[in-house]
Amino acid sequence: MGVLDGLVVVELSIAIAAPSCCRALAFHGAEVLKLESPTNPDVARLFGSAWARDEPADVYMDTSPYLAEMSANKRSVGLDLKQADGLRVALAVLADADVFVTNYSSPAVRALGLAHADVARVNPDIVYVALPGFGSDPEQPYYDFLAWGPNQAPLVGLDALTGYADQDPAGIATIAPPDYFAGLHALAAVLTALEHRDRAGEGSFIDISQFETTVSCLGPYLFDHALGGDAARRDGSRVPWLAPQGCYPCRGDDAWVAVTVDDDTGWSALAAQLRADGIDGIDDARYATAAGRVAHHDALDELLARYTASRSAAEVATELQAMGVAAYEVLDNVGVLHDPQVRDRRWFQLVPSHRFPDGDAFGGHPIRLPDTPGRWWRAGPSLGEDTAAVLEAHAGVDGDELDRLAAGGAAFTVSAPERRLRRPYIDYAEILGLGGRRD
Amino acid sequence: MAGPWAGVRVVELTGLTGAYATRLWAALGAEVVVVEPAEGHPLRHLPPFAPGHEGSEASLWWAFFAQGKRSAVAEAGSDAYDRIVASADVVIADVAGGRDAPRPAHERQVVVAVSAFGRTGPRRAWRGSELVAWASSGLAYTFGFPDRPPVALAPVVQFAAHVTSLFAVNAAMLALRGVRRTGEGQVVDLSVQECCLALAPETGVPLFLDDRLHRSRPGNRRAVTRPWGLYPCADGFVSFLVLQPGHWRAMAAWIAEVTGVDAVLDEAFVDMHVRWEVSDFIDELTEQLTRSRTKLDLFAEGQRRGIPITPVNTVGDLRADPHLRNAGFWRREDHPELGPLEGPGAPFRVDHDWWWWASAPRLGQHTDEVLAST
Repeated sequence: MGVLDGLVVVELSIAIAAPSCCRALAFHGAEVLKLESPTNPDVARLFGSAWARDEPADVYMDTSPYLAEMSANKRSVGLDLKQADGLRVALAVLADADVFVTNYSSPAVRALGLAHADVARVNPDIVYVALPGFGSDPEQPYYDFLAWGPNQAPLVGLDALTGYADQDPAGIATIAPPDYFAGLHALAAVLTALEHRDRAGEGSFIDISQFETTVSCLGPYLFDHALGGDAARRDGSRVPWLAPQGCYPCRGDDAWVAVTVDDDTGWSALAAQLRADGIDGIDDARYATAAGRVAHHDALDELLARYTASRSAAEVATELQAMGVAAYEVLDNVGVLHDPQVRDRRWFQLVPSHRFPDGDAFGGHPIRLPDTPGRWWRAGPSLGEDTAAVLEAHAGVDGDELDRLAAGGAAFTVSAPERRLRRPYIDYAEILGLGGRRD
Repeated sequence: MAGPWAGVRVVELTGLTGAYATRLWAALGAEVVVVEPAEGHPLRHLPPFAPGHEGSEASLWWAFFAQGKRSAVAEAGSDAYDRIVASADVVIADVAGGRDAPRPAHERQVVVAVSAFGRTGPRRAWRGSELVAWASSGLAYTFGFPDRPPVALAPVVQFAAHVTSLFAVNAAMLALRGVRRTGEGQVVDLSVQECCLALAPETGVPLFLDDRLHRSRPGNRRAVTRPWGLYPCADGFVSFLVLQPGHWRAMAAWIAEVTGVDAVLDEAFVDMHVRWEVSDFIDELTEQLTRSRTKLDLFAEGQRRGIPITPVNTVGDLRADPHLRNAGFWRREDHPELGPLEGPGAPFRVDHDWWWWASAPRLGQHTDEVLAST
């Protein structure tokens, strides 16, 4: 049993912020209905697999690995919301739902006729959560500005704080942390609003600006700046209160080990190891205190690198952990796939979908509830795969009406359902540690 | 306090890995009790400190992340400590280095045990850190310039810890819905490594399995198309993400206007893969546009033209930002020890009167009160 069994959630979303929130709800048993259309697809569907480029467009859009992961367990409801019939049916579904989550921009949601007031008219008790880049208040300066995940980390200050002090900011080019951060706030907001509904019997309208949620985590540095300080600086992997900390070179190509010494005990153990390795200078009195180690970090880094460079990253990590020092291989994707924790805890799983009956691989969910476990039962759906079942159950649309809606282009069902595909790695799934299920 | 979580007692036994989201929970009405040793919670000793202040109340980490919480001093293992823990509806505990999770003290208690690698697996007793979180999730490998060692994501912010704290509080809220249904609590095993793996889909293993492309650190521009990433301007940097055809057409028109290079208007460049092939050309023209202008001018003008652009803000820029000011984001408080402070208020808006705030507690401020209610 999932703790959210019976909860009906409607999702109108792009990319990550709203999908990552509803992914958690779907994992724990909620029925998440993703409204989507091939005429205005979620950008996550546009990153189909390179090997599937020759497939028809609709099939190609089902192959995106983002989709498999971010829409796992969700039901895909194909509706063109720009058509009156499509919107009417969507509102009928919303009238039957507990929660609505959207990260469409506020102007787009209004233009569609799905702003809070529109939805509350058909369902006054709904929990309505909007998480656009800059909030839903038209009075605010950036209200109609474009917000895309990877552009938000620079905006909220994370990019300027990432990289070395003597170089341009390295920024965060590979992931979009504010999307996930906003999604986690949305999840807390949904669960809080459900608590409120249970107690007070009313719905809620929650407006989450991705900008504001992520800036919130800079609290201490914003206080500091307001008091005339300048503590928020980038300095590689270093922080001003402990040393050494960094990524050190190891044997192999582009191989590194991450090391953090956060107390004097750890330092003594590390120093003993370096001494045993014949590295001179480690007993310098400058390094005896955290303040001294922070002040002489460059010199320390050189000593540490002499110890790490002749060993593999796994060797260093294992040696240091054995003496109580935090250390880990700087894993690349191959490393993650073979990581002993990732494997033992079955983080990556192979879960079937309509398009990929042999399975699609993606990550688990960090929140596992052992006594009421969530689980993945399906990888992200094909576009429109669940239109008929969902519209019948939640909007009373029968087969004839669905045919009429589909003929007019207001509803879509799955395209080329007979076309089944296979991920290229399926034959090696066992070796890759993808067999079996995480509970 | 009358927020939606009024009446729920949360006992916090973590360092940084619980702090962000339990502040949020306290602001939404939960009674969050931080149990501290006599020398104070580790955050009380973390810089930056308020200028002119020292001692247990001076840390700005504590001043921010302990807002709305209660402080009870009790040593682990003491009777008082056990009584406080037993009185909790929810316990969020750091079980670093393979320490045992607190046993639930009653049938309905929810325990969230946070550790670097989880409570099972061969490395369950391994120690973690902010940097180790990024390293072990495959993400540090993708942060930084190729000619230097990888780096942690904004390490002074301790972002991985805050992400973990949000997973921890969401786990507790979900488990409380379970209590409502079954009458029973449970012990939740939360791994920091897995919390960071959950942020990795854009660069992570499922993509790699599918396309076998090795992904390493690209510097501050994404290895997909151009313009995508950070570009230098008169007073810092701006960030572009030009992916869609319409965005590129607007960008090309702007470049042509400023540089006079009409070749950029060629339809061939609408294809993002073509722009990636000629990255140097696109980057050079983009920098001709950005170098002489300020980040706020570029932000306003680029957005007016329908181009996804943002300034690369510093903490100082954020404090001056017109949107945050206008939206009433900032909250001022008169801290009893540190005086006036200004920082982030509620992270989101709601159409009810939910938010409740108080200054961070003095060391042991609520010990008697909390013990009296155990």
